[in-house]
Amino acid sequence: MLSGHRVLDLCDESGALAGKLLAELGADVIRIEPPGGDRASRRGPYLHDQPGPERSLAWLALQTSKRGVTLDLEQPQGASLFRRLAAGADVVLETARRGALEAIGLGSDALRAEHPRLVWCSITPFGRTGPRADWLAGDLVVVAMGGNLGVTGDPDRPPVRCSMPTAYYHAAPEAALGVAMALLAREDSGRGQGVDVSLQECQLQTLLSGAGQFARSGRAPGRAGGRLGRTREIWAAADGWVTFGLRGGAARIPNLVATVAYMDECGLAPDWLRDYDWAQFNHNELSDPEIARFEQAFGAFFRTRSMRELYEQALARRILLAPCNDAREIVEHPQLRERKLFVTLEYPELGASIEHPDFFARIEPRPARVRGRAPRIGEHNAEVYAELGIGADALEALAGEGVV
Amino acid sequence: MIFRGLKVLELGAGAAGPVATKYLAEHGARVIRVESSKRPDFLRVLFLGKDSPHGLEGSPMYALLNPNKESVSLNLQTPRGVELVKRLVAEWADVVCENFAPGVMAKFGLEYDSLRGLKPDLVMASGCLFGQTGPQRRYPGFGGQGSAIAGFNHLTGWPDREPHGPYGTITDSLSPRYVALALAAALLHRRRTGEGSHIDLSQIEAGVYSLSELVVRYSANGECPERAGNRHERLAPHGVYPCRGADRWIAIGVESDEQWRALCEAMGCEAWDRFADPDDTDARVAAWTAEHEALALSERLQALGVPAGPVQSFAELLEDPQLAHRGHWVRLPHPVLGDLAFERCGVRLSDAPGVLEKPAPLLGEHNTAVLGDLLGLDAEAIARLEADEVAT
Repeated sequence: MLSGHRVLDLCDESGALAGKLLAELGADVIRIEPPGGDRASRRGPYLHDQPGPERSLAWLALQTSKRGVTLDLEQPQGASLFRRLAAGADVVLETARRGALEAIGLGSDALRAEHPRLVWCSITPFGRTGPRADWLAGDLVVVAMGGNLGVTGDPDRPPVRCSMPTAYYHAAPEAALGVAMALLAREDSGRGQGVDVSLQECQLQTLLSGAGQFARSGRAPGRAGGRLGRTREIWAAADGWVTFGLRGGAARIPNLVATVAYMDECGLAPDWLRDYDWAQFNHNELSDPEIARFEQAFGAFFRTRSMRELYEQALARRILLAPCNDAREIVEHPQLRERKLFVTLEYPELGASIEHPDFFARIEPRPARVRGRAPRIGEHNAEVYAELGIGADALEALAGEGVV
Repeated sequence: MIFRGLKVLELGAGAAGPVATKYLAEHGARVIRVESSKRPDFLRVLFLGKDSPHGLEGSPMYALLNPNKESVSLNLQTPRGVELVKRLVAEWADVVCENFAPGVMAKFGLEYDSLRGLKPDLVMASGCLFGQTGPQRRYPGFGGQGSAIAGFNHLTGWPDREPHGPYGTITDSLSPRYVALALAAALLHRRRTGEGSHIDLSQIEAGVYSLSELVVRYSANGECPERAGNRHERLAPHGVYPCRGADRWIAIGVESDEQWRALCEAMGCEAWDRFADPDDTDARVAAWTAEHEALALSERLQALGVPAGPVQSFAELLEDPQLAHRGHWVRLPHPVLGDLAFERCGVRLSDAPGVLEKPAPLLGEHNTAVLGDLLGLDAEAIARLEADEVAT
């Protein structure tokens, strides 16, 4: 759907997913990395644990569908080539610290003045202006300052993060959305604009209005381990963990009734629970002893069953229970496989075939999809620089000077 | 604003659907929610006790996630209610966004293939837990299950303890931004070609797609990454350390030797091999941070070029000077709940920044504007719809 648009992608790992999204929606995304490869993004773990920049699994995962060129922006000749690439581009996507691109003459103000149709998207930890615009932060510090960390974890231990960078996952689609909005506006105005994305601000959305609710009520949640509010959300199964909410509401009470019926068929529903009057159930009004009684009964039952059995029964009985999957369980999930979520990409020079998640939505009539593997180092130098009139000899000379 | 003039009809409930259209509403689209007191959005009652004084209008969560929108009350259990929705699609809407369980829209005759007959260039997004196809599509689910199935719970917490979710239900916060992106891309495509689109989005797949690295690591190396507390595979020290006061913490994530030397200088000690014994490294950093105040220490470390920041409470988020600079919080009076702190999204467009100017709608607040002004019904006809429990 974005075909016909060209994106120059200068992002570090915090923005890699944004360029991937635009590429899989159809844009021509050119990832620009320093000669020899971007060592930070081409990091471990490596394919078959053999180190090498072209074997970086994070790179292979997050740079799909892009083309790749090398260019040393620190050299004047490299900066000049970037300006020529920008003349033919619609979007620049970058994650540089304030002032870094300006110092080499590639600041957004200068480039946008030169090319008024250019959309310039900056993804930074706190946004491009303001008292903390120069603060440094990776995922952990963003999640801390975005409010999610303080309420995640156990009360008797420090706050704890997700071991994968969820701050980047929340910002990438907002950045891509901002780019799409700016391109849409350009259809009428003929002018590009700046898109300023704050990782911290995107991260606040994970609270689903929690801070705004606190502003009114003065009541903030504390770290509650595997609980959501007062009631348990994570439960032990015989072989792992499942999620199940002891919450009510019209949409949820039938699932509590179905859970008790399932327990009863197994001969494991206590009498009081079998006879419980669910019409009166409101989880907001349960006393602590009542909650403990429910949790004892459901918890004892779940511990007798495997994650798989509980999930199969949940599907059959419309119980709101799901397994806490690891990577293997995700990749083997029958629904995801039936939907053909996974696509296999070939890496013949590495002797590997690797499954990737394909695009997360089926879009008709113009599907978005993973369109190709991540680029090798400088893989598309010849074709991209040829568009600037740089032939093979000139390219070799640039390579000799370390520009590409 | 970018979506000024865009007409969006929204059906569904909860967070995942409504947050997606909030991006459009913030940037000028007119978003009309179709709701009914016969089967209210569960966010209108979530967290409320039986004696909550304002009934369906008393939920701060519903209010905070739906600013700038309008509400028409139409009971989809009645043929006339459905007929009015179809008229809104045929005569008014550019976009339909829904997040019902698969099959619900079809039951009403409102699935994409029917609506496209009424509006050939319609852009429609259907976003539910598992998507519109596949053997488990009818599994009734909320974000809690989505977060677990997509793998986020397994990856969050301490290796020696049960998993946690990241706070909130992460597929509910992730998937709406993916829906909004797909809608914006489809609108750009329509602007250039005149062609509409249907977007069948799975909230779980949006989560798994985000975790592409996890899938690739499993497929390539057979590895199942585990939750690791705050430990990082490549960085150290990387943790959350205690500070002076009750439940006060600083997050520090050192990314380079240069930053490590700066941190050691601040600690007043010689740099040591920080990777040799990560537990010892963490213990020594924690002993030092415990003597300091979280924000002051963060400011000091940032001045030295070390990535560090306080673990902010909800109260601190409301006072955060950077968020204030960004205009993140927008105070608007809600007719029932009073002054509320609404939130803008994380993107600022230089020429057309979004604006929040209206609180969330009361249920059916815009019946006259929608049924009267848009569909031409007179007051008597609207009153009859209300009396017949069609507009309710």
